[in-house]
Amino acid sequence: MDGIDMQGVGSSPHRLEIMEKVTGSAEYIADLSRPNMLHAAITQSTVAHAKILGYDISDAMAVPGVVCVLTGEDFPDGRMGAFIKDEHAIAKDKIRYFGEPVAVVAAETEAIAREAAKRVIVKYEELPAILSPEEGLAEGAAIIHEDLDSYIKVFPAISSGNMASYTELNEGDLEAGFAEADLVVEGTYDTAPQAHLAIEPCGALADIDKQGRVTLWSANQSVFRVQANVCESLMMPMGKLRCLTPRVGGGFGNKMEPHIQPLVVRMTQATKRPVKMILNREEDFECVRARHPFKVRCKTGVKKDGTITAREVEVLLDCGAFGDDSPGVLGYSLLMSLGPYRIPNSKASGKLVYTNKLRFGAFRGFGNPQVAFAGETQLDQIAEKLGMDPLDLRQKNLIQPGDVWFGGGQVASNGLQECVDKARAASDWDNRKSRTAPKGKRRGTGVALSAHISGLLGTGAIIRVFEDGSVALNTGAVDIGQGSDTVLSQMCAEALKIPLEKVSLASPDTDGSPYNWGTTASRVTYTTGRAVVGAAAEVEKQLKEHAAQMLECSEMDLELRPGGIVGVSGSDKEVSFHQISLRAHWAAGGPIVGHHTWVFNQPTIDPKRAVCSGIPFPQVGVFSFGCLIVDTLTDEASGKTEVAEAWSAVDVGKAINPSSVEGQIVGGFVQGMGFALTEEMVWDGPKLANPTLLDYKVPTTLDTPYNIHSIIVEAAEPDGPFGAKGAGEIGLVAVPAAIANAIADAIGGHVHSLPMKPEKVLNKMLEIEDAT
Amino acid sequence: MLTSMTKTDFQKPKTVEEAVTLLKEAGDDARPISGGATLVALMNARLVQPSRLVSLSAIDELTQCTYQSDGSVRIGAMRRHRQTAFESNLKAAHQVVSGAASQIANPPVRNMGTIGGSISFADPAADYPPSLVAANAEIEIAGPEGRRRIPAEEFFLGWYETALEPGEIVTAVILPPVSESSVGQYEKLCRIAGDFALASVAVTIDFNASNTVTSLRLAVGGCGGGPIRVEAAEQALIGTKLELDAVVDAAELVVAELDPIDDVRGSAEYRLKVVPRLLQRAFNNLVETREPAQ
Amino acid sequence: MSQPVTLTVNGKTSDVSCGATTTLLTVLRDTLALTGSKRGCNQGVCGACTVLVDGAPMRSCLTLAANIEGQNITTIEGLPEGGDLKPIQQAIIDSDAVQCGFCTSGMILTAHEFLQRNSNPSIDEIRTALSGNICRCSGYRKIVDAVALAASRGGA
Ligand SMILES: Cc1cc2nc3c(=O)[nH]c(=O)nc-3n(C[C@H](O)[C@H](O)[C@H](O)COP(=O)(O)OP(=O)(O)OC[C@H]3O[C@@H](n4cnc5c(N)ncnc54)[C@H](O)[C@@H]3O)c2cc1C
Ligand code: FES
Ligand code: FES
Repeated sequence: MDGIDMQGVGSSPHRLEIMEKVTGSAEYIADLSRPNMLHAAITQSTVAHAKILGYDISDAMAVPGVVCVLTGEDFPDGRMGAFIKDEHAIAKDKIRYFGEPVAVVAAETEAIAREAAKRVIVKYEELPAILSPEEGLAEGAAIIHEDLDSYIKVFPAISSGNMASYTELNEGDLEAGFAEADLVVEGTYDTAPQAHLAIEPCGALADIDKQGRVTLWSANQSVFRVQANVCESLMMPMGKLRCLTPRVGGGFGNKMEPHIQPLVVRMTQATKRPVKMILNREEDFECVRARHPFKVRCKTGVKKDGTITAREVEVLLDCGAFGDDSPGVLGYSLLMSLGPYRIPNSKASGKLVYTNKLRFGAFRGFGNPQVAFAGETQLDQIAEKLGMDPLDLRQKNLIQPGDVWFGGGQVASNGLQECVDKARAASDWDNRKSRTAPKGKRRGTGVALSAHISGLLGTGAIIRVFEDGSVALNTGAVDIGQGSDTVLSQMCAEALKIPLEKVSLASPDTDGSPYNWGTTASRVTYTTGRAVVGAAAEVEKQLKEHAAQMLECSEMDLELRPGGIVGVSGSDKEVSFHQISLRAHWAAGGPIVGHHTWVFNQPTIDPKRAVCSGIPFPQVGVFSFGCLIVDTLTDEASGKTEVAEAWSAVDVGKAINPSSVEGQIVGGFVQGMGFALTEEMVWDGPKLANPTLLDYKVPTTLDTPYNIHSIIVEAAEPDGPFGAKGAGEIGLVAVPAAIANAIADAIGGHVHSLPMKPEKVLNKMLEIEDAT
Repeated sequence: MLTSMTKTDFQKPKTVEEAVTLLKEAGDDARPISGGATLVALMNARLVQPSRLVSLSAIDELTQCTYQSDGSVRIGAMRRHRQTAFESNLKAAHQVVSGAASQIANPPVRNMGTIGGSISFADPAADYPPSLVAANAEIEIAGPEGRRRIPAEEFFLGWYETALEPGEIVTAVILPPVSESSVGQYEKLCRIAGDFALASVAVTIDFNASNTVTSLRLAVGGCGGGPIRVEAAEQALIGTKLELDAVVDAAELVVAELDPIDDVRGSAEYRLKVVPRLLQRAFNNLVETREPAQ
Repeated sequence: MSQPVTLTVNGKTSDVSCGATTTLLTVLRDTLALTGSKRGCNQGVCGACTVLVDGAPMRSCLTLAANIEGQNITTIEGLPEGGDLKPIQQAIIDSDAVQCGFCTSGMILTAHEFLQRNSNPSIDEIRTALSGNICRCSGYRKIVDAVALAASRGGA
């Protein structure tokens, strides 16, 4: 098979599903239908915080074509939640945010369902709405979850009143660290809520069989989390629900935990008919989830030579109405709040506070971009005070190979230095001041470094060899558009030395796929890849057992040869997978199935090193690194900033599919650029003021520079599959910080608040002009 | 009770007169539909439910743009933004209108939206209204009583309100003749390409041979219920050579007339700050682009 | 009130019965089972529903079916000719310009029409042409490259 492109690891074959995506035949949730299907729509609350006194559904039921109306009274009392089980499938007894689903209507058409949903009357007794974490913490504040104490929590949560969680990490001696410093800089930084805005809105379709078993398709990032959440909230045995996935039109975190899946399942149970519901864009904005707004107080001590001696970080997070992934985001943001630097004395602590807003949850970066914005901005402010080059200051404090992470977690591979060197060279950093700006604009260059994990929790893979010697790969990992189907298949092909086309990938199915926690935390390539490699090793072993008998030799003498062949080393004796599989199926040994499952189990905290409390996850992941340099142009008249060029160097361990890695780097950059410059969910009292694409703006081609340079660095992770680690989030983490530093370079001062919209930048420019 | 189940009927007349009759027949809940870029979005969101839709797409007269012998230009109400953006008839000061058209939304929406639909809807942040006021345009209206023409300034009454009476439609926009020495500039600030204006300024100017301003019109968009024209500022600039001091003083007169609100695009305070800066830039650009020609 | 509307989609004429306020997007997806056009906002902003009406890209979510009788509508399903992909489709494949794919149909149709008008575009012209189609995954780079690639191969 020499000379044949196997399209294995390190090559960039096109997406497996590319033909269906360029011809419009790819099926997403909204494209599915079942015979005799009903359409459902939600009624949303029109108050932010209230006791529900009762419902009147008679008007809704009277609309011709309406089949069923369900309210909170029709739902079981189960509660779901990734960290704190605080959320019913639908508002029950209480309303906790404006726009929360309070009723579901099923009808013969979507238009009828929507019309009827408007006619459901809910009687409320309003309670004071808590619209910020500060209000939530205030003495005498209305309590959003009266039963918080009794909720099940999956980690040692510190919670009380409206505080859902408190987390703290300490290392070294903070006071001594600040005492040692020649300069201490302190600042507060805040970030706005960002909408995920996958172009595909959330939706689900459920059908029920005569035994009462439900099959559920939905826009999701994990069929297994969907199954767990639906079953918890509806108090169903897990075996009664099968979850599947169509193609998914983008995720970014919003489709990881549940959205409307429990509502659709309950409706199919009630009507015994297939039920489909697709949220419209406004509903998707109002009741799925969004990125947490952060308030960060950051204080850093340095010596004159730039050595950082201490850092203290304190964060305040708006949780929204339900815990969702928030305790994880809080804990993770604290863990990342020192950045990729050696800081011997540090304390990071934070509070997560319930408010009457939609839940905030996982979003690409998971709290890291917010603390990176604070920490990396502050480093530039320090560099300026010390008269040091910002990159040199960072270089001086860089975490080195062999160092452990804040808290004591191991960092096995570290390509940060190479990222810094390559971005510095590619961007011609040292000559940046010679770059000029067009008339009316000010040019700035900024840098920010980042680290991010990939890992978390359990995953598995099953590989079965077909009779013809090709293989089926089944992992249960949902490809949300980032390309994991292709990458996992490439790894399988590489491990078994077969061409990519000989691997067929099974679509995730809770009935048949091994467990996969989800497509999140930049984890699929690393964790699922490891499972694939493990399962392939198992298949290889079984193939060799057969081959040894067929070729009458020792297994030790056998090798895999390209193209699906097992041969005797140093001889031309060989058998094909096809021959082996026929024997296994019909004659001896049984069909070849290899599987591997594992759970990420490297501790995050070393208790000998760090004193911590309220840590949401004991085992996080392995580390990717990045160095990002951006050039910006700020308009002198308006303060509006555009990115002119960017150089993003990212250590991904091993690029299994380099083109896909570039897609992640550039896509993450642009999403981060939106977060940095324009994106902002705005509330008008309790109501989201901009739940439409006309009012909530994301970057278009014209707002995006063409020159976003991806620089791939490969510091192999020793236990990663082929050395790989995650690439999904790292490219976004440093973006707001790097842009903030570039703007500061251009105008002479830092904006401490995201998004850095024209108004904030202009005000800063005017403030600086006034001062000079 | 009007609900989405309410029946809407659809008509596609061939003449303006028929259209007007069809609208009149059906009463207040009838609506003309041009590009649909706004109306259909409103219907999709269930914010309006017309009893009758009268499509203006099949009326030939409305789709024409004609250059008249007196030098004026008549832009039919159904002209799409894309057509107006590339309209070769629009020269000199008229380019304030093509400039505005080219900055509306994005290419596919510009293929759909029409000048008649845009000005009839009269979004306070829309691009045509300030440009038409600066261009001293007239709006031609047809109704049950026949046709009439009113100056753009009197057409926009603020916050989505226009001088259209029930049953009337816009049939054309007429731009007056302009001298070759005149110039027009439309300056738009928006959050993201294709967004509605956070604020915009439209100016048309004519100069004499010695570069002194002989006439000038200026209107601001996005800073109140409709386009805001500030005659005091215009007067202050006529007779100058747009020296920086004169422009700064005039900009102050403009700011005094603005009436912006806080919205998701930006705060009122910011609009007050940024409009004078946009004006300065617009004048600056005009002066600079003129100079090489001298 | 349903009324019969005669639509010509991808060269095929069909009579559909729909309300006066029914959009082309709804007819395409729900009546004609052409689900390649996507609904991302229903408000004209995202571009996922973009189709060609008499050759020009328009939003099918803002187009009333009743208003385009007699016009030729092309959707992504009708783009390949005789089963062969159009050059822009092949270029999208070759540039790895697809991630989740939800924006892809609208992007391809918009780019296809653009390339027919401009066979030798600059990068900035491509960026302008695609500025009404939002992609949340790719950061646009590979899509812009794909359009340039199709142009360099002389196709649309
Ligand atoms: C995504 C998007 C972005 C946009 N961005 C911008 C922007 O940046 N700047 C901007 O200025 N606009 C913007 N618009 C609006 C766009 O320009 C619309 O096309 C325009 O406002 C309406 O024109 P239309 O022909 O589509 O009108 P329609 O939607 O057909 O009608 C609009 C209203 O006017 C009435 N009407 C229509 N024609 C007439 C007539 N001849 N006489 C009387 N009444 C009539 C209708 O009954 C309706 O009430 C945007 C629209 C969209 C969808
Ligand atoms: S669905 Fe039509 S533009 Fe978004
Ligand atoms: S590929 Fe996902 S939106 Fe473009």
